[in-house]
Amino acid sequence: MKMDLLQGTLDVLVLKALSWGPLHGYAVVRWIERTTEEVLRIEEGALYPALHRMERRGWIEAEWGMSEKNRKAKFYRLTDLGRRELHAESATWHRYAQAVGKVLQAVQAV
Amino acid sequence: MRRSGHRRLFRFPLRGQVDQDVDAELRFHLDERTEELIEEGMAPAAAREEALRRFGDLARITGACREIGRHREREVWWIERWTELRQDLVHASRQMRKAPLFTLIAILTLALGIGATTTIFSVVDAVVLRPLPYPEPDRLMRLWETNPQTDDFSVSDPNFLDWRHANRSFTDMAAIRSASLTLVGDGEPVRLNAAAVTASLFPLLGVQPALGRAFLPEEDRPGGASQVVVLSHRLWQSRFGADPGIVGRSLRLDGRSFTVLGVLPAGFNFLPWADLWMPLAPDAAADRTDKWLDVVARLKPGVSMTQARADLDGIGRRLAERYPESNRDWGVRIVSFPEWIVGPRVTRTMLVLFAAVGLLLLMACVNVSNLLLARASVRGREMGLRAALGAGRARLIRQLLTESVLLAGCGAVAGLGLAHGAVRLLKAIGPEGVPRLDEIRLDGRVLAFTVAAALLTGLLFGLAPALQASRANLYALLQQGGRTALVAGRRLRDALVVGELALAMVLVTGAGLMIGSFLRLQRVDAGFDPEGVLAVQVELPDREYPPERRIVALPEMLARIAALPGVQATGATNAPPFGAFRPNINFTVDGRETQGPEDFLSADWRAVTPGFFRTMGIPLRRGRLFTEADRDGSLETVVISQALADRLWSGEDPVGRRILWGGTGGHPLTIVGVVGDVRDVDLEAAPRSVLYLPYGQCPWAQMTLLIKTGLIKSEGSPAGLTDAIRREIRAQDAHLPIPEIRPLGESLAGAVEAPRFRMLLFALFATVALLLAVIGVYGVMSFAVAQRTREIGVRLALGARPWSVVALVLRRGLVLTCAGIALGWAVAFALTRFLASLLYGTAPTDAATFTTVALLLSAVATAAGLFPASRAAAVDPRLTFGAD
Repeated sequence: MKMDLLQGTLDVLVLKALSWGPLHGYAVVRWIERTTEEVLRIEEGALYPALHRMERRGWIEAEWGMSEKNRKAKFYRLTDLGRRELHAESATWHRYAQAVGKVLQAVQAV
Repeated sequence: MRRSGHRRLFRFPLRGQVDQDVDAELRFHLDERTEELIEEGMAPAAAREEALRRFGDLARITGACREIGRHREREVWWIERWTELRQDLVHASRQMRKAPLFTLIAILTLALGIGATTTIFSVVDAVVLRPLPYPEPDRLMRLWETNPQTDDFSVSDPNFLDWRHANRSFTDMAAIRSASLTLVGDGEPVRLNAAAVTASLFPLLGVQPALGRAFLPEEDRPGGASQVVVLSHRLWQSRFGADPGIVGRSLRLDGRSFTVLGVLPAGFNFLPWADLWMPLAPDAAADRTDKWLDVVARLKPGVSMTQARADLDGIGRRLAERYPESNRDWGVRIVSFPEWIVGPRVTRTMLVLFAAVGLLLLMACVNVSNLLLARASVRGREMGLRAALGAGRARLIRQLLTESVLLAGCGAVAGLGLAHGAVRLLKAIGPEGVPRLDEIRLDGRVLAFTVAAALLTGLLFGLAPALQASRANLYALLQQGGRTALVAGRRLRDALVVGELALAMVLVTGAGLMIGSFLRLQRVDAGFDPEGVLAVQVELPDREYPPERRIVALPEMLARIAALPGVQATGATNAPPFGAFRPNINFTVDGRETQGPEDFLSADWRAVTPGFFRTMGIPLRRGRLFTEADRDGSLETVVISQALADRLWSGEDPVGRRILWGGTGGHPLTIVGVVGDVRDVDLEAAPRSVLYLPYGQCPWAQMTLLIKTGLIKSEGSPAGLTDAIRREIRAQDAHLPIPEIRPLGESLAGAVEAPRFRMLLFALFATVALLLAVIGVYGVMSFAVAQRTREIGVRLALGARPWSVVALVLRRGLVLTCAGIALGWAVAFALTRFLASLLYGTAPTDAATFTTVALLLSAVATAAGLFPASRAAAVDPRLTFGAD
């Protein structure tokens, strides 16, 4: 089964992907695919406006470097601001998921 | 990717770079995906297609990314600029605090320059630049009649009506005639100045009353029930306490009742003298030689002044053909409002003052530049260090310029304070003759000017030192003393001092010419002696005083005053010196043929009492003066001025000849005497031709009584005597308003007020210029001495005498001074001809003035160099070896 991404979740996934170290855009896509065992599907192109927007906000920084296949690629790195944003966002996500989970596991209305 | 800061220093981010980055990044993604799909076994073409499909709308995404990138670049650019500016400002203010004396001197110098420039700009702006406060003011015109002698003659009623009807160039014309009325009721009677105007005036000027309404077209018809007035804002406030219910009230003026129609707005300043306005009905049947109207008109849209002029010339010619007796030799002149109200002379004065103050500001810049250069040598190591730490040259220059602009900004703030005071002072003491002086204010336009001036001066005086300092920095670091840099700096400073002395020479020469001109003007013989003479305006209105009563009443009044203790002589004239009323008449000599316009004769005329000449101290040259016997019914007589006698009867005796008043066919008058010339209209011009008529034969209603007292100038007019004069006038007729009594000398002083004011301003500028030059020379010389302390010490140690050291230092100062003066002489020589029209009896290249100023300037410059020089001589050789 494959699921489309919920609105607004792409940013937090990207931040999480970058929390392990600098990656280029394609690697971010691959990481999300691999991690979610290809359950979550993202429209690959949509990643880039998201990356650039976050760069403009100062959450991530970009630098040109060499890919593993020795090609010129643009690498993104999390900034301190981005790391704080990631913590805040994942906390929100956990609370949200817990809340939704509780509702779904509820046995009987009081 | 991160670009290092300085590569983006002076340019906006390039669009191309952002786009390329986006393209490369997306291409990389597609390539990677395609490759992976191929590795998974897809055919290359299919793999490519699949990669594109998974990617989504490539064009849209590319566009979105580029857009974001551009925004980001722009933000980064501004943030970097702002951060740098803040750093530079912090650094600059720290630098300023580190050298408080330098900062203080620099700011004061700039405040002086910017303050003076701002003040003069506010004046130029109010008087010359800002449009007049009427809609489309450049379409408004002032019209005059002209004759071969005069080009600003008032207009006769029928001529005005003919112009108004026949022209095709104007939307409308309006006529104005001044009148004087006595307002009675609520307290003492007061005399008011009224402007009688055609109903067309207010719509033509585009002015609406603030209260009520203006005149209706039918209210200025002849015979119309036009007992209506419109009040000036000033009268409404002063006399009626700004009563909002004034409209509809009735006033008693000259014994008749008038209804108030409205009140004009506060800013309406078209005829500043007018207290109230009433309708005027020009009379088509009036004499065409009786010229009393002031005429204004508004050009139709699309009609040029040249077209209007041609139109009016044609009308003037047709009138001259139709009415040759009255209109031959008469034409029409048209002048735009700005030229009429401000005039070329005032404009010229303003521009000259502005140029002068601009030179002053330039001198202030040079001085601060010099200070900065001197400081730069102290800061050489700081610059070197910053350069070594990676600051590019452009970055250093920018930082130094920030410092100088900050200095200029502080100077501008202080200068605005100065300007605020100066503008108030100007308004208080400015000469009455300057139009629109009351409109001067420090508004947004002036502020914008000041800000621009500050920025420009900051860049101007900062640029040379900044270039110098940033160039010098490496040398400074490499060589401990940084001597190479200092030599280059010294040359620049020398050049600046030469320039500064040249500017001072120009300014002081201008001032010298103005002062010389003013002194000459003050020595001009006016031809009459105002010492101790009091002037009192009295009107004997037509209703109570028909001419035959007037002829008796005025001499009676004069006799009463003459009997007062302390009064030496009394007389009266209908046109006091330097007044607004300047009656003029054309005439012919009885028995002389007149052919063309070159034979046209006109002269000023005055109706005077027999005592007038003695009271004014105007001497009799030939024949006799008037007596009480020159009155109605006896031989009609005239006394002429020497200038007129010389012009018409040079070498002959004019006494006994006759002239025809108003020209051929006019009234014959017999010349009985010739009196000395007077300059009572324009002190700077040659004496005018004057015809004096006896009051007994020309009993004018409005007369100025002249009372010669034994008072000397310093005592003014003691209250006792002026009260006694008022009492005598009221004793004769209690209904007369209380007259104003002023010393006649005031009007003479008023005539030289504008030149005096001009001279004072120039003298002030010149003083500041000299001061700045002294500071400049002193600064450069002191610095030179400080730099050469060691060399001087060596010389002294080797046995040089102190005076030879003084001479050594002075010689350098002298070389600079001579160069500056020579340069300034040349520039002044080229520039002072722009002053020609403002100078009286003084050539703009007056050799004496130039030489005096050159000597003065060299003396001052030498004096400024003496102190540093004497300090050099006092150098202790033992100490110098320890130094450095």
